[in-house]
Amino acid sequence: MRGVSKRFGRLVAVDEVDFDLRRGEIHALLGENGAGKTTLMNVLSGMTRPDSGEIEVEGRPARFRSPQDAIDRGIGMVHQHFKLVPRLTVAENIILGQAGGRRVRLPDLGRVGAEIEALGERYGLEVPAGAFVWQLSVGEQQRAEILRALYRKARVLILDEPTATLTAGEVDGFLEGLRAMARQGASIIIISHNLDEIMSAADRVTVLRRGGRVATLNRAETGPAELARLMVGRDVSLVEVLTAAGGARPRGAGGPEEPDREAVLEVEELVMSGESGHQAGAAADSGARELRGVNLAVRAGEIVSIAGVEGNGQSQLEEALMGLRTPDSGAVRLGGAGLTGAPTRQVLEAGVGYIPSDRYRYGLVSELSVAENMVMDRIDRPPYGGPLRLRSRAITARGAELIKRFSIAVRSPAEQAAALSGGNAQRAVLARAMSADLRLCLAAQPTRGLDVGAIEFVWQRLREQRRNGVAVLLISTDLDEVMALSDRCYVMHRGRLTETPLDRDRIGLAMGGAAAESAPGGRGR
Amino acid sequence: MTAPASAPPSDVRSGRRRARLGSTVNAAAAVLAALLLGAGVIAAAGGNPITAYADIVTGTFGSPSTITLMLGEVTPLLLIGLGLGMAFRGQVWNIGAEGQYVVGAVAGGAFAILSPVQAPVVLIPAALAAGAAAGAAWGWIVGKFQAKWGVNEVISSLLLNYVAIFGVAYLVRIPLRDPDYYLPQSKLIPSAARLPDLPLLNVHAGLLIGLACVPAVMYAMGRTPFGFRLRVLGMNRDAARAAGIDTDRLIVKVMMISGGFAGLAGIAQVLGLESRLNNNLDAGYGFTAIIAALLGRMRPIGIVLASVFIATITVGGDTLQRSQQVPRAAVFVLQALFVIVLLVADRLARR
Repeated sequence: MRGVSKRFGRLVAVDEVDFDLRRGEIHALLGENGAGKTTLMNVLSGMTRPDSGEIEVEGRPARFRSPQDAIDRGIGMVHQHFKLVPRLTVAENIILGQAGGRRVRLPDLGRVGAEIEALGERYGLEVPAGAFVWQLSVGEQQRAEILRALYRKARVLILDEPTATLTAGEVDGFLEGLRAMARQGASIIIISHNLDEIMSAADRVTVLRRGGRVATLNRAETGPAELARLMVGRDVSLVEVLTAAGGARPRGAGGPEEPDREAVLEVEELVMSGESGHQAGAAADSGARELRGVNLAVRAGEIVSIAGVEGNGQSQLEEALMGLRTPDSGAVRLGGAGLTGAPTRQVLEAGVGYIPSDRYRYGLVSELSVAENMVMDRIDRPPYGGPLRLRSRAITARGAELIKRFSIAVRSPAEQAAALSGGNAQRAVLARAMSADLRLCLAAQPTRGLDVGAIEFVWQRLREQRRNGVAVLLISTDLDEVMALSDRCYVMHRGRLTETPLDRDRIGLAMGGAAAESAPGGRGR
Repeated sequence: MTAPASAPPSDVRSGRRRARLGSTVNAAAAVLAALLLGAGVIAAAGGNPITAYADIVTGTFGSPSTITLMLGEVTPLLLIGLGLGMAFRGQVWNIGAEGQYVVGAVAGGAFAILSPVQAPVVLIPAALAAGAAAGAAWGWIVGKFQAKWGVNEVISSLLLNYVAIFGVAYLVRIPLRDPDYYLPQSKLIPSAARLPDLPLLNVHAGLLIGLACVPAVMYAMGRTPFGFRLRVLGMNRDAARAAGIDTDRLIVKVMMISGGFAGLAGIAQVLGLESRLNNNLDAGYGFTAIIAALLGRMRPIGIVLASVFIATITVGGDTLQRSQQVPRAAVFVLQALFVIVLLVADRLARR
């Protein structure tokens, strides 16, 4: 790719970027949110047409009008959000939308299935071809996505944040699979913010910042510190960010492990069944989409984590605690007062700050201004308004104040929230949640998809809450995050919690269900 | 990673104003495109598009009597459209205004007939209130079903139209029927309940009520917590819930408000125009007002303009039939084109 540029309105998303990929290499594309990684790859995969620049594939110029054009030239993209139909089988998904759409008869699914499984075996991507997608774990779904690209004879694979939803154990296997694929001649581009992953898997790294290419480096000639600096354009406190070593968690002065401190949040035998609209299809198994007797306590001034593979009931717990769904039985108490099944407003008013796992769906209203987003939950209370009026000056002023306090990069409090990039959107969510005096802060996947600078910021704020004596409940699939922040840790598996010592291996085992119960089938490994 | 082109808005309201401009441009473009397509329809029906459009305009604005006719059409469209606009802003798709309209018409009319007090100062406001309350109650059913059991409001409100229309047919045939009369219709509505005409115009005071509601609705939507929440409901229902907004209650409320407006329109038409309650109260305003609300971008001023516009082509359509032998139905095709083209234009603009 040479001199590729793409603008959206006046924003230059990608500016004159050169990029080259060699046969059989794993090339990492690194950059903060909004650096232009995804846009650049969308150009390469035919999703977006560039304003200028050229693409050459295997020596011949290419001009992609659609993803199909790119697939025809052997380029396949695996998106961060899977594009699989839950109610179809893996094989059906893979042939879905393939060329020859005018044929009335479907290809022989049995034959396709055998081909897919053979392909999977060859690259270490085993997936049962006849299984329905909704039955698969997230890791298996991802393998199915990659197999779809390979089945269409992709020689170049683009993976957008492939490890964001995998567990630690799955990530290792996944990276090993990538290396095997590269050895067999596949060329792989992997979009990532995770420096450790890049250091362990990539052959070369290209760093983007604000739409421009900063550098392309050989892995052997660089290190995480240099990459982090190139990515954010300044030094970040790497001790905080790169906690790959684990365990190095600074303790709050209050000594959060005093055992007899009173619990702020108590959850007893919480049971909730039925489907959640939250993530239908992404859950591991229909049987796991529920809470099956959750017990939990969080004391003031401690950070308690809930680790686990996504889809084991975390989002259901989040919804049940926040009053977004009503549990079937069990009890939730905040400071001794019952909050079971209370409406969300009452939960918030009881002093709960909520950082939702899906920040765009639950956290922000993109068409509203940043300022309005920040006072959305208290819009009818002075000084922002009374029962019959709003005071836009007070709202704007509050927005400006929080923008400053939470260093949100936005030009004006009246700007639409849609203008916020990933990290800034999360800062805005934090600003609303933490601008009141809290007793409990529920942070669900608070750093998912964020860049290093924003992760650092979120962690600092969570620790600050702990110092202020707030009980912090952190739901995270990111083991590094759990290790870096927690005072105690539970692991969620199939709708139940098990308290687990803060130890990578023990947590990893519990995530697979080893400590809790014998998982039938043992999907997802 | 998106950055708007021009200078940042200075406060939260000016930002909103800018978004509104875009949608107004869209509506205007859609109307133009629909008129062009409509020209094709008129030509296909054997007319001359240019003179046809000229006929529509002169046919409506050419004489005081047709202007009066036009304003008479505006009245129910405006009243119903204001309420629908509020519901639609919250993405609550009330398709049941027709039913809410007839329920309001009959309940208010029956109240006027049966009321023991017959002084106009009391009777007229009380009958209007009764009609609005009945429409609100009909809307409440839809909202409650949606909030409690997740019943899709489009389907329940649409089907309740027929319950209302046939229910009213029963009421005027049996319980409310004037036994001395051959046709199925009620006793005379007392003249004390008659809604007076506006000075100098042969249009009943419902138009004035509708116009008076315009600033009220604007204030409610733009400057109150209720309007704010309703807008948030329409923008992102999940985020509204997560911020502690009781979305269920809000849906019920806005269904009652839009049902109330439709009911008010119904009783205003009855008190302004009818001498008896009969079988033909469902004149289709509840459906046409959906077009007015959408074309008016769900905003009060826009709905006023859209109502006038629709009323113009409705009244002008009669002229069209006489002067060009183009079937009156061409006008309905035109109305449908407005909405379809508008929806397409919105989609395109979002790209």
